[in-house]
Amino acid sequence: MNHRQPFILWACALLALIASAFAVKVGEPAPGFTAVDSNGKQERLSDYKGKFIVLEWHNQGCPYTRKHYESGNMQRLQKEWTAKGVVWLTVISSAPGTQGFVTPTQENDYLKTMNAAPTAVLMDPGGSLGRLYAAKTTPHMFIVDPGGTLIYNGAIDDHPTSDQRDIAKSKNYVSAALEQALGGKPVTEAATRPYGCSVKYKD
Amino acid sequence: MLFVRKILLVAFIRDMRRNAGLAIVLAVSSASFSQATIQHARVELLAGQASVKPGSDLQLGVHFILEKGWHIYWINPGDSGQPPSFEWQLPPKFTAGEVQWPRPERLQPSKELVDFGYSDEVLLPLTMHVPSTVGNTRQLEFGVQVKWLVCREVCIPEHANLHLTLPVSSAERADHQHAQLFANTDKLIPKSLPRAWNASVTSAKNDFVLTILAGGKPITQAEFFPRDSAQIDNAAPQKFQQTSHGAKIALKKSDLLVKPITVLRGVLVIAGGPPYRIEAPVRQPIQ
Repeated sequence: MNHRQPFILWACALLALIASAFAVKVGEPAPGFTAVDSNGKQERLSDYKGKFIVLEWHNQGCPYTRKHYESGNMQRLQKEWTAKGVVWLTVISSAPGTQGFVTPTQENDYLKTMNAAPTAVLMDPGGSLGRLYAAKTTPHMFIVDPGGTLIYNGAIDDHPTSDQRDIAKSKNYVSAALEQALGGKPVTEAATRPYGCSVKYKD
Repeated sequence: MLFVRKILLVAFIRDMRRNAGLAIVLAVSSASFSQATIQHARVELLAGQASVKPGSDLQLGVHFILEKGWHIYWINPGDSGQPPSFEWQLPPKFTAGEVQWPRPERLQPSKELVDFGYSDEVLLPLTMHVPSTVGNTRQLEFGVQVKWLVCREVCIPEHANLHLTLPVSSAERADHQHAQLFANTDKLIPKSLPRAWNASVTSAKNDFVLTILAGGKPITQAEFFPRDSAQIDNAAPQKFQQTSHGAKIALKKSDLLVKPITVLRGVLVIAGGPPYRIEAPVRQPIQ
């Protein structure tokens, strides 16, 4: 019994260390990862060092994701910002058997149908990338700067609804952050509550 | 027969998944009873009184009866979800108070995500102030457009237009059918802390430590629900510690918290006791 307690304490300390190492905080280095995209290509965060990177958590069946795709809002953002040299990585963390899980072929068909234009779509059915970033909702948006620092974590905009009609009157946090960051200014709204469906992690 | 009211309830629901429209129109002409069965929920606009008395307060409420396994959300939905919203259509000079949100439950869509909401059933009540003169009318109509998100593994946005007509009467009459539901709900609505109690928060590096002084008595178990989002980590275990004068609860800070806060607002639910509203000043760490 006497031997067990120090072990438990040590294990707790180690867990705490792991948890804190995985914290995704604005102003801190964005955690590195390797993932496979919908074309079977390996994608590493470090491949894009020197560029701004947007991470967009996605679930094509979620009403909040549909708000931004069926209105064309997300595609517009993807085209606008990739044209300015920003890398846009869509991430799908839905586990097999849950809403939003798709095969690479299904995802590529969806991109074509929706006229979507991310740089790549990362397939994360095991949820490890989602958990690494503590992605909570679809959509949940992150921005990494060219030095690898996280500069935005949160919602796509300031209207946490599934109603397309709200988009016109919304302030888009991702565009606002990218405009400031590309202009060499600090991001004024760098962390907001993401809104949407829960990410469908495998338990 | 004086008590007979005409209640008309119209619900229009769009199934977002099938993109098909479906309209349900239900008219009931009896005592204060109105309902619509909608995907995974029955929703009613109810009154706590059987009639409207000029110059008094009238209790109205939207009652959700949810299909097993489905839930709706609290005013702070937690990590995902969206709370119901209400747009009232009221007779002239009526003013609607704020919705009184009963204490939520902790809902856990996965081990790293925690939401706050309601399953089974919930009444979301509010008080209407009735003007002293309501004009030459024998009955008044109240309407509300309710929008809500109902979820199990998947989420479906819904909306309904609910109407309720009540007779005007100079005497106040309780609605016996629903008064009990309003009274039971009132027990779940957070109240101010007792006068002798106190709540304060110390901001530590990774946690907010909420200290409750409970009039000199220990608290054996309690849970905190944050009113505002992106302040505490919803899924992190709350470290509860009983003290001789109350309790301390360490709440892990959210990764999304980037600026210091001055007040921590929320609901404290003590095991076996009533829920309390917390608005605790936050002391910043000593540098």
